[in-house]
Amino acid sequence: MFYLITFIVIYLAITVYLSYLGYRRTTTVSDYLLAGRQVHPVTMALSYGSTYVSTSAIIGFGGISALYGFSLSWLAFLNIMVGVWIAFAIFGKRTRKMGKALDAHTFPELLGRRYDSRFVQGFSGLVILLFMPVYSAAILIGIARFIEVYINIPFATALLGFLLINACYVIWGGLKGVLYTSAFQGIIIIAVMLVIGISTYSFSGGIINAHKALTELTLLVPPYLEEIGHRGFTSMPETGSSLWWFIITTMVMGVGIGVIGQPQLNVRFMTLKSDRELNRSIPFTAIFILLTSGIAFAVGALTNVVFYNKYAELSIQAVQGNIDKIIPLYIDRFYPQWFVAVFLVGLMAVAMSANSSQFHTLGTSLSRDIFEQALLKGKSVIETTVVTRIGIVFGIFATLIFGLILPESIIAIATAFFFSLCGATFIPSYLFALYWRGGTKTGAKASILCGFFISLLWMLFVHENESKAIGLCKFISGSDSLLGHPWKMIDPQVIALPVSFAVFFAVSFFTSPIKEEIIRKSFRHI
Amino acid sequence: MLSDNVMLGFPDFWIFAGYSLTIIAAIFCIVYGIINWHKGVEEKDGDYREEIKWEKEEIELIEKLP
Repeated sequence: MFYLITFIVIYLAITVYLSYLGYRRTTTVSDYLLAGRQVHPVTMALSYGSTYVSTSAIIGFGGISALYGFSLSWLAFLNIMVGVWIAFAIFGKRTRKMGKALDAHTFPELLGRRYDSRFVQGFSGLVILLFMPVYSAAILIGIARFIEVYINIPFATALLGFLLINACYVIWGGLKGVLYTSAFQGIIIIAVMLVIGISTYSFSGGIINAHKALTELTLLVPPYLEEIGHRGFTSMPETGSSLWWFIITTMVMGVGIGVIGQPQLNVRFMTLKSDRELNRSIPFTAIFILLTSGIAFAVGALTNVVFYNKYAELSIQAVQGNIDKIIPLYIDRFYPQWFVAVFLVGLMAVAMSANSSQFHTLGTSLSRDIFEQALLKGKSVIETTVVTRIGIVFGIFATLIFGLILPESIIAIATAFFFSLCGATFIPSYLFALYWRGGTKTGAKASILCGFFISLLWMLFVHENESKAIGLCKFISGSDSLLGHPWKMIDPQVIALPVSFAVFFAVSFFTSPIKEEIIRKSFRHI
Repeated sequence: MLSDNVMLGFPDFWIFAGYSLTIIAAIFCIVYGIINWHKGVEEKDGDYREEIKWEKEEIELIEKLP
């Protein structure tokens, strides 16, 4: 406890100081929303990375890989290739230039101005406002589970306590504060994850021996997992099995591709001064993702070897079925107490970083996208910062409620839900906004609505992960899903995204183009 | 078939591929960043000139204020 209190006090003191620095340097609306568009590439890389990765990847997906093994390394690959390179080089550069040309301050505002549509901006803001709290809650649950295991206090108390600490500084500093603290938080988590990665491989006998030892545990895979297609922790699940569809479509594609449509990440591209800063951010962000999510997935799977060597049981047995507790328990059991405290501070850091960006995005969605555009019909008001703060407070409350009502083993699934929803809703209109001058306002509206509603309906009535938990399908039809295998295992994004693309194309061909003046303005710097 | 050691101890080629590609992707990003380290500083014609123009206009406006 002594270590924990000491480290937390030091950490909070630095965080508060950095937040204060951000607060002092925030003078204009652009400062508040976009950090004055002058962010350093390393700050950008660390803050993007720590927002992207969060406790969800370390605790949630680490736990999933402890259960299903190294098949999640495909997600780590996509995290870097899609989440960093494609996101920065293909989307980021044009987002930055177009964002500047259109003077956009939020991701929905970029889409709204590009398609000359208040509806696009308002509806996108509403999607974010209503559904992002589910993802924020997943991150919060990650840290609360760790506090629950480590300090041995009730989960709800841990959740509330941490949320209060987080709320204190988010409401305060705007994006500059968020970026400064995120960068500091990013440094802590890199150091901690490096230690965990190296020590876990060392506990397990080195890289090759660790993988071989994990392969030998195949015989211990519980029968209920074998039945759904589990073929061992170092093998892909049986092709076409329920588990295979779950891993490939939800865990790998849902999150790996859905990242492109993440508003809290896309807004970061607009904070950079030039493409040079973006080019320089790419290597740092890639290294960050490799050292955090890459290590978390590998460590997650290898916890089985370490648990088995000491207790003759698999990780999932050690936590009595709650996947979200595997990483917390592993750290608590196998590392010295001072390091557990450091790890907890590292987790707090990424959770605060990701949560604060989300709350910030929630706030701007309410103020600029919904309040100014949808309600005030485009009239700009000076109260934007106040309404942003109201949005942040709403986000914090919504997150708290979801955090308390979501069931166990939910972190990775809730994360995949939000990534998938954003992917299907935003990716087509975002991609075409940047690359196709022929896309129309009606095409963008139709694509966004199709992507969103098909995703939502698929979740409510077909995709068993959500439909079973929500229960509406069972209430109406008496069954958890309207369709059988494999449909009920296929992630909504896999169905909704292609439809959303097709709709964008089809509708754009038959509807009137956007005013030439807006197109010229949008592509002015491209 | 590759030996266990060549495949880093993984018996399944697809797991080995995912694991290796993760590291290769990170290296690719590093190389991309190094190659393009100095590129992209110059914006398309008009960008900074426009900013300077806006700032001049803003200063003029402020100066005209009573």
